[in-house]
Amino acid sequence: MVKAKQLVEWALPSDTLFSRGEALTLGFAYFTIGFTVAVLHVTEGTSPLVMIGSVFLVNSVTPTLAFAAVTAAGGSTMSGIFSGWLVSSRFGLFAAAIAPRLWPSRAKRAVAAHAAFDPNVAMAQRETADSDARRVYVAASIWLCIPWWIGGSLGAVIGDRLGDANALGLDAVFPAALLAIIWPQLANRELLPIALIAAIVALALLEPSPGGVPVLVAACAALLAIRQPAEPVEAPI
Amino acid sequence: MLTWSVVLALAFGVYAQRAIGAVLIDTERVSDGLARVLSALPLAIITAVVALATFSTDGQLELDARAWGVAAAAVSAWRRLPMFATVIIAAAVTASIRAAGL
Repeated sequence: MVKAKQLVEWALPSDTLFSRGEALTLGFAYFTIGFTVAVLHVTEGTSPLVMIGSVFLVNSVTPTLAFAAVTAAGGSTMSGIFSGWLVSSRFGLFAAAIAPRLWPSRAKRAVAAHAAFDPNVAMAQRETADSDARRVYVAASIWLCIPWWIGGSLGAVIGDRLGDANALGLDAVFPAALLAIIWPQLANRELLPIALIAAIVALALLEPSPGGVPVLVAACAALLAIRQPAEPVEAPI
Repeated sequence: MLTWSVVLALAFGVYAQRAIGAVLIDTERVSDGLARVLSALPLAIITAVVALATFSTDGQLELDARAWGVAAAAVSAWRRLPMFATVIIAAAVTASIRAAGL
């Protein structure tokens, strides 16, 4: 039987940098993002059950938003899926960075990897001791995943009640949601040129090249980051 | 529109990348340069996707009401409004301009 005191210790580990304020901010942010994104997908035609499946199985919003944005503009299903995979490439690196500090067991690491997002990895990495990093990773993952799962599921059910909202400018909401997610990064002077070049290259290649190619070539703009000094970057969700 | 096969394909690709990172990659052997490129990659892809979703239809460049909606979203994000407000503004601006027939 787990005692209440143990639950509190999991959610708010003592003697770490992870504060109650951070926990609430994280929970609120991920609840509203999950809710918003689920409403968008369901009003665009996704069935609520598929949306709830996506919340738990994909466990991230950028891949589904990228898929919806690409296909809503007439891109093929394959290029939508490919864009979704590409935007989640960062998770592999985050998982690799934090995994050695979590558990020696590969099975446990493989489970923890499903919850690898940007903020929980960053918060765990602030801790000097590995045992503290592990406790903060668990706590931040709880505060991030549970509100996101609840918000996403709630959005799927409520979005379904909104009925047909096709006339409501919905083709603009997927790019708008993605823009809201990346906005903090655009303020970074090293990253802004990469973003602008990627956008221009994608538009320039659209008409002369087959579907999927513009995004793939635009992704190469990220290579410009190779010569830049390491700098902590606020990454998207 | 998401379907079960799309969700399963996305879930497979996303989890595979997370699991490979957690179980197989030794971060000591990933250079700083490669790490920077990988962390800049989502930004490049997302801005490319945003540009295409804003300015194209069925593989052709097109300037329509969406551009105004996304421009309004940019202003909203710049004013640090929450994401929920940003998407509502984008939808409302796009729909109004479309309704006005501009």
